[in-house]
This record gives sequence, C-alpha cells and structure tokens, in this order.
Amino acid sequence: MYKLFELLDKYLIPMMTKLSEQRHLRAVRDGIVSTIPLIIVGSFFLIIAFPPLPGIAALVKPYIGKILLPYRLTMGLMALYASHSIGYHLAKSYKLDGVSGGVLAMAAFLMTSVPVTYEGRGLALLMENLGGGSMFVAIVMAIFAVEVMRFAKTRKLTITMPEGVPDSVARSFEALIPTAIIIPIVWLIRDLVGFDIHHFILGLFQPLVRAGNTLTGILVPIIIISLLWATGIHGDSVVGSVARPMWLVLLDQNIAAAAAGQPIPNIGPEPFFQWFVWIGGSGATIGLVLLMLLSKAPYLKSLGKASLLPAICNINEPVIFGVPVMLNPLLFVPFLLSPITIGITTYFSMQFGLVSKPFILVPWTLPAPVGAYLATGGDWRAIVLVLVNITIVTALYYPFLKAYERKLIREGAAGEFEEEIK
Amino acid sequence: MKILIVCSGGMSSAIVVKAIEKEAAKTGLVMDIKSVGTGEFAEEIKNGWDIALVAPQVRHRLAFFQEAASGCNVPVVVIPPQGYSPMGGAIVLAEIKKLLS
Repeated sequence: MYKLFELLDKYLIPMMTKLSEQRHLRAVRDGIVSTIPLIIVGSFFLIIAFPPLPGIAALVKPYIGKILLPYRLTMGLMALYASHSIGYHLAKSYKLDGVSGGVLAMAAFLMTSVPVTYEGRGLALLMENLGGGSMFVAIVMAIFAVEVMRFAKTRKLTITMPEGVPDSVARSFEALIPTAIIIPIVWLIRDLVGFDIHHFILGLFQPLVRAGNTLTGILVPIIIISLLWATGIHGDSVVGSVARPMWLVLLDQNIAAAAAGQPIPNIGPEPFFQWFVWIGGSGATIGLVLLMLLSKAPYLKSLGKASLLPAICNINEPVIFGVPVMLNPLLFVPFLLSPITIGITTYFSMQFGLVSKPFILVPWTLPAPVGAYLATGGDWRAIVLVLVNITIVTALYYPFLKAYERKLIREGAAGEFEEEIK
Repeated sequence: MKILIVCSGGMSSAIVVKAIEKEAAKTGLVMDIKSVGTGEFAEEIKNGWDIALVAPQVRHRLAFFQEAASGCNVPVVVIPPQGYSPMGGAIVLAEIKKLLS
C-alpha cells in the first residue's frame, strides 16, 4: 500500500498539479470562480420559480417568466461574464493589463455571435449563445485574445505614449494594436468566410461534455479526486479546474430544460458529486465521522466530536489530516470505495428515474440532505437517497475504522480523553 | 504577531485558526490570525503580515504563494499535515515558534 502512495506521489500528483497550475487552466478556474456569486444568486431565483412545495409552486406559476429574469441575466449570461474574467486573469498572469485583457476577451467572444434581426426593434444577440452552454467558446476566445495581446507586446507591436501621459491612458493605447488584430480576424473568419466559430468550438468539446454524463465520466473524477485527497492534496480544486467548464455546460442544459418545463437531461453536473457523493466532504467521510463519535479510542472520539459540525458542512480537512486519512493504508480502502459505491447507486437511481436529476446550484456548505433536496428542485426522494448513501458509507468505513482503532490502542497511540473541543 | 493562513476556500483554515489561538492563549501569546482562500492570498499578503502559513492540501501551489509573498518579505511555510486539524494547534504553534527563533 505504501508503494501505491509512493507511485501517486511520483506520478499522479505532479501530473495533476502541473495541469491545474497550467497558466491557461488556472485563468479559466479563477475566471469561473469569480462568476460563482452570480451563479448562486441566479440559482436562488430558480428555487423561487420552482419552489419545492407544490402549493406554492401553483401560486408562483403565473409569474415564472418575471421571477426567472434575474436568473436569465446572471447565470443565463455566464459565458459572457466568464469570458471577461478569464481574459482578466490570463492577462494578469502575463503581467499585462488585466482590464484590457478582459475587455478584449469579451469582445472576441461576442464577435463569434451574429446578431439576429428583431422585427421593429433592431438587432438582438441570442442569449443562448452567451450562457453557460457556450462556456468553451468563451474560454477559447479569451485565450485567443490574450495570446494576441501577449504576441503584440513581445513583438513590441504597441503604441508607446511619450512620458508624462497618465498611466491609464497609456495602457488603453497599448491595447489598440492587439484589438486591431483580434476584431478583424474574428470578423474575417466569422462573417466574410462564413465559418461558424461558435458552433465549431461547441462541436469540438461536445464529446467531452457527453462523456461527462456517462457512468465512466462520473467515476473518473471521483477516483482522481479521492486519490489526490488520499495523499493530502485538495483533489476537488485540482480536478475542478479542468472539469468545471464541462459541469457547467451540463448544468446549463438541465436548467434550460427545467425552465422550459421539459424533463431534465443530465445526471453529471457538479451538484451530483456535491450532494450525493461528497457527503461530509471528499471520500464521503460523514460515515467515518459518525463512527468516530462511538470510537473506543479517546483520540478518535474527541476528534470525531470536533469534526462533526465541519462534516455536516462538508468540510473534512479535520478528519483527512487529523485521523489522519492521508497516507493511511487502512482507511484508504473505504476512502476510495465509498464515493465509488455511492456514485454508482446515485447514478442508477437517477438513470431509472427514482430520484430527480440535479439542476440547481446551492452553496456547498449546506448539510447534504438539504442541499440534495434544493438541488433537485425539491425532490424528497433525494433526501432518502442521501440517507441511504450515508448508511452505505458508514457500513463501508466500519471494519476499517475498527481495525485502525485496534491498531492505535495496540500501539498506545489512542490517546487520553482530551478536554472538550469546541 | 500577525499570521495569515491560506487554504482553498478559507473555510477549513478557520477551524485551524481557532485551534492555534486556543493553544497560544495557554502560553499567553497574543496572535492576530486570519484565514483566506487561495484567490485572496495575493492581495491580502500585502497588508503587513509576519508569517504566511499554507494549508497542506494546497501545498502544490506553494510556488505561487511564495511568488506572491516575495515582494513583501513574508516567510511562507506549509503547515505539517498532523497540525492541520482541530487538535493540531500545538504542532502549528511549535512550527511558528521555530520559524521566529
């Protein structure tokens, strides 16, 4: 088992961290993170539009169109917001002007959409081209725009203002030549040659998005995240920076279906993992914490008490580093098996329509049953599934925690009863 | 003494802050400890801190934190994994003292 940890340390971790520290992916991650408040507040209006109580649902029904407006102008324009902040972060990482990078990225992204004529009112941009579904277009165009900026800068293709010109003015002129390259290029390809960049990029990433919705596409992130956490690396933040755009596309399709009153298509957006798999934190350690509360080893028991509240909020660093789960060969087995098992039970429960598919993003620190209930638009069966999953993982952790407890007691490392920890 | 702790979202480090403060209070040390998420670190580090501690689960980003802190001469240290729990206050405090001596 230690051999396995060595291998992980030698291959998986450097590879994954290099990937997540890669400049463009980092900009994508930081860019999307800055739009999360919009997603959460926007989703809040989804809950109001589709309240979990049937009585209220009938009451708000006539006003759904109005209630959904804040959602449509926040999350419904996700890709537009993200294009700006991805461009900003990428430009900053090159020590270029962040705001220029953001504005250029946004312009390049908008240029890929052709406005349609709206009779009697003029031109209109289709909102569906600017929502989460177009996330990958926003990413590609932001990278393109900022790379052109960088190219212009390294080739000294900038207009340098004489000394004494205020910084802000000088900087806006610096962006002039890159802009004069980016806009005509996109226009040439998009409008003169007639090549549909937008749908080409969407098509390019389509297989990835489709894969994210299969059982394999769900198990792969679960396994990689668990392996990373088993060595004490924040797996979600590493894997999330690569997978989040895909999860957002899946989520966007689900929301669009819900808003149109159609059946929810996708199982695999992020709330699937958040509420049904990572219960109590990565590795579904809620089971472990519950067992620790009853442990015969004083150390585990007091740590269990101190970790219960964080665990209910899905924060499990106290257990990962306290027990520790990290580099612990005994606990590694259930730490990997639990999320895989409940990932499978949840997948098939949703596949067979026993539980609704998630389409609402709610803050990840809510207790899992509440989060699952809200994320599925108020399906009580989601709560049942979470409780079933908790039972499964508790059973999976049980023999291994007992073995670990015996080991601690044998080695005299079980500790005295410490004072109460608050 | 002013200590900045960085983790992924600034949540789990808040738990550790409590553990350190409690341990420090036992020895009569007064500490000003703040926890931030990875995204806020580069800005916050400029506000005059004595030490920056990195949560073990984000240790793969150490180079990034060090670069951000290099301009303001703040030493950046990874918290030993055993210290990063509600019961690890003593371990982190020992680490801090080692750093200051």
